[in-house]
Amino acid sequence: MKQALYAGLLLGLVPIQTTVLHYASIGGIRPDLCLIAACLAGFVAGEREGMMLGFALGFIQDLFSAGELWLNLVTKGLIGFLAGLVGRFLANATPVAMLATLLGLSVVSGTVFLMAVRMGEGLADLFFVTRSILLPQALFDAAVGTGAYWLIARRGRTDHATQERPGPLW
Amino acid sequence: MLVLFALLLSVFLVLPKQSRSLLQHLGQPLAQIVAFPLGALAALDRNLREAWGGYVALRHVYDENRRLRREIEFLRGQNGELREVATAGQRLAALLEFKEGTESETIAAQVIGRDATSWYRALVLNKGKRDGIRPEMGVMTLAGVVGRVVKANSSTAVVLLITDPNNAVTGFIQRTRDEGIVEGTARGLARMKYIPLLSAVRVGDSVVTSGLTGGFPKGLVIGSVRSIEKVEGDLFQSAEITPEVDVSKLEEVLIISTARPFDERTADAGSLLPTPPKQRER
Repeated sequence: MKQALYAGLLLGLVPIQTTVLHYASIGGIRPDLCLIAACLAGFVAGEREGMMLGFALGFIQDLFSAGELWLNLVTKGLIGFLAGLVGRFLANATPVAMLATLLGLSVVSGTVFLMAVRMGEGLADLFFVTRSILLPQALFDAAVGTGAYWLIARRGRTDHATQERPGPLW
Repeated sequence: MLVLFALLLSVFLVLPKQSRSLLQHLGQPLAQIVAFPLGALAALDRNLREAWGGYVALRHVYDENRRLRREIEFLRGQNGELREVATAGQRLAALLEFKEGTESETIAAQVIGRDATSWYRALVLNKGKRDGIRPEMGVMTLAGVVGRVVKANSSTAVVLLITDPNNAVTGFIQRTRDEGIVEGTARGLARMKYIPLLSAVRVGDSVVTSGLTGGFPKGLVIGSVRSIEKVEGDLFQSAEITPEVDVSKLEEVLIISTARPFDERTADAGSLLPTPPKQRER
């Protein structure tokens, strides 16, 4: 089940991100589905899975993005890893904790991109990019990711109640 | 795991060329696999847009003719659909005419997606290496410059738009012949830098490609001057440019596989569209 889900994410997430996600964009900003998936995987299944899924999704994202071929690979891998660490040390993983984690990690990812891609620009432009891309992107990622986490957690609780066995959320 | 991560990052930073070629090598088959769902979703997206357009048109017809009989409504709906097909046909015919008229060899491609992140202004095209697309090739439409190819997978390519701050094209002001470098801006426009201080550039002047950098022929429209900025003490002035192509509504583009300059007479006359074949025979 988990393998099928990961395969589906690897094959489907980047095509959705590049083709139809513009319908869900606000002010030209779309949620970064790969970042959300890496973060959720890390948070729920641990840092190793988060990092591996982040690497794979980031690599595919790099193939369909104008940036360097390693930028998303490294960033998404790091995000998956950090989300795993946060998930491990958090005693009570609630949607609010997820919201804060996603917000923070999306800001981290955005800052990496800002430094790698837009460093040559003036201070006014950097401020403009922070205001128009980095922060809205972080808010959008956090909202979508928390919604997804809430659904996964609810499903996990339902499965737990019906099957009476503990286990991972997916 | 942290050691693995640090090792990977240091390899990417210390050996950028080698790691890029390795990743490119590894990514080719992966890109080909992902291109299938990408193509399917792009087709779904196109159908959705057409269906939405059709729905709006049908509603419009319904509002205007709600007292008409059902058959007439059906025929009007069909007429709307045919008109849509005709419009698409006209657009493609114009593109084909332009493609035949230009001296440069071009490859037509469809836009199937946008950049996979929000950090670049880029498009994904449905043509790639196997169609002869290579990085650094210029991309244009009937209206003018769109951008340049930065990545080519086997069946898709990524085009960095002229409005992206990471893109730079050499150009000149058509009226004064002053050269400069056109870059994208953070606000989604373009800026021409390094215009000589003594240049008599004016708002509304047309900016065209100079043909000095690879990918673009000389004389292709980039945009028109929107405002001019002179800072005291600077050696050059700069101008903000409104790109001629509305990159948000692109559906088809032409990739310049062999850039040859346009006919200077047509470029000087102000019309940068190449001479149609019929006129050239006369």
